[in-house]
Amino acid sequence: MDITQLVAHLVVILFAFTMLITSAAVLVLAERKVAAFVQQRLGPNRVGPWGVLQPFADVLKLLFKEELRPRAADSFLFWLAPVLSATAAFAAFAVVPFGAETTFFGLLDEPVRLQAGDVNVAMLVIFAITSMGIYGIVLAGWSSNSKYSLLGGLRSSAQMISYELSYGLSLAAVIMLGNSLSLTDIVNQQAGAWWGVVPKWFLFLQPLGFLVYMIAGIAETNRAPFDFPEAEQELVAGYHTEYSSFSFAMFFLAEYINMVTVSAVAVNLFLGGWHLPGVPLWLGWAVWLAKVAALLFFYIWMRWTLPRYRYDQLMHFGWKYLLPAAVVNLLATAAFVLYVG
Amino acid sequence: MDLVLFYLFAAIAVGASIGVIGQRYPMYSVLLLIGSFIGLSGLYVLLDSPFTAVTQIIVYAGAIMVLFLFVVMLLNAPREEGPVIDPRRPAVFSTGPRRAGGLLGLAFLAEMIWALWRVQSSPIDADAEVAAHVSSVREIGIQLFTQHAFAFEVTSVLILVAMVGAVVLAKRNL
Repeated sequence: MDITQLVAHLVVILFAFTMLITSAAVLVLAERKVAAFVQQRLGPNRVGPWGVLQPFADVLKLLFKEELRPRAADSFLFWLAPVLSATAAFAAFAVVPFGAETTFFGLLDEPVRLQAGDVNVAMLVIFAITSMGIYGIVLAGWSSNSKYSLLGGLRSSAQMISYELSYGLSLAAVIMLGNSLSLTDIVNQQAGAWWGVVPKWFLFLQPLGFLVYMIAGIAETNRAPFDFPEAEQELVAGYHTEYSSFSFAMFFLAEYINMVTVSAVAVNLFLGGWHLPGVPLWLGWAVWLAKVAALLFFYIWMRWTLPRYRYDQLMHFGWKYLLPAAVVNLLATAAFVLYVG
Repeated sequence: MDLVLFYLFAAIAVGASIGVIGQRYPMYSVLLLIGSFIGLSGLYVLLDSPFTAVTQIIVYAGAIMVLFLFVVMLLNAPREEGPVIDPRRPAVFSTGPRRAGGLLGLAFLAEMIWALWRVQSSPIDADAEVAAHVSSVREIGIQLFTQHAFAFEVTSVLILVAMVGAVVLAKRNL
């Protein structure tokens, strides 16, 4: 690898990192605005034009707050938990490609991939790192030494373990269909259109898989209507009850970045990534961003529209409906690939 | 570069493993075991088999250790106090779990010597083609479902039995 390639790669990594942090800020504003509109309010509109500086004001407020730690807490694990959460959230995005190979308009001799780390088992890496994210939440719940935190941590780990199965099975169906573990390969197989109209997205081959993936993804990121770990009406704030200041901000950041990762992977697996019939490939990143933004809007929209499930309903649904659906989908896909594909 | 990384990951794996048994808080033992698994998975990456590395994290660090953590958390296991032991006597001639541990350690030592001796007598095939063969996901899958199909099926039946047993024990009236 020569020096320009290296520099280009570093720029891509830095860009991905900054974009992730910015996306969290944008999402906070979007969440508050959408929530306001759903509830017929105006939302934040005092800080900057249309309230666009509100997230920065929020961050400053959090930074200047006092960092509190319960006396009975396990100090090392209490410190480690938010760090783990945030690290896992950022690391999972490392293998997600966000655009076609590009030379930056002829700036480079060889094209560089718009992806922080290029590994051929990208799908599994994402799955592995998301499953490590559980530890942040569990440890936060345990180390705070508070009953609300512990209940929140226990609920969230039970929920994440239950929904991880369906999540993994829906991923496996796409892997079989694409016959590859690399996200870039899978995206590139979705280029073009059937009969010139319907884009060749895996969504149309895997409607059930997409549904299972999205439901399990929402449960994995602990968002409403599956936001049991927090459930402010019952558990104060769940696993991060005892956290304040910057360590709370890290949990907050992790939640939004996980949302971005789940949406980005959904776009790459089911919605054709940066391919859209009729749009040139150099505009791929814009197509990709638009698709991710649409999914993220759906996330927020859902949170402010649907009430929370009851905890037994959540487990009932996960094990008795979602998992069988995912298994059927996997078997059907396997049969399809074997006999038709 | 590879050598530095090897020593780094090996140090993490060994250090964390010693920590698992070297300190008395169960919660930290579980976490150190996860650290040790991550070190091991780093070693797998250096051996050019990313699939094994990722599977190691998904299965052990991601799934099994969460259950361990769950149990330790629910029991709220305190700091463990060991039995009173006489440090002058060697472990093997001691009493109770210390003797069992000492004997197991001896057995393991003998096994390691035997295994290492065998490796020396038959040098590893350092063929690049064979190595690429072993690390490919497709190759692992084909081997697993053809040559090792019986072992694979038996393992899955074993896990199924364990699952049914757990359900029967936990919920007597469904």
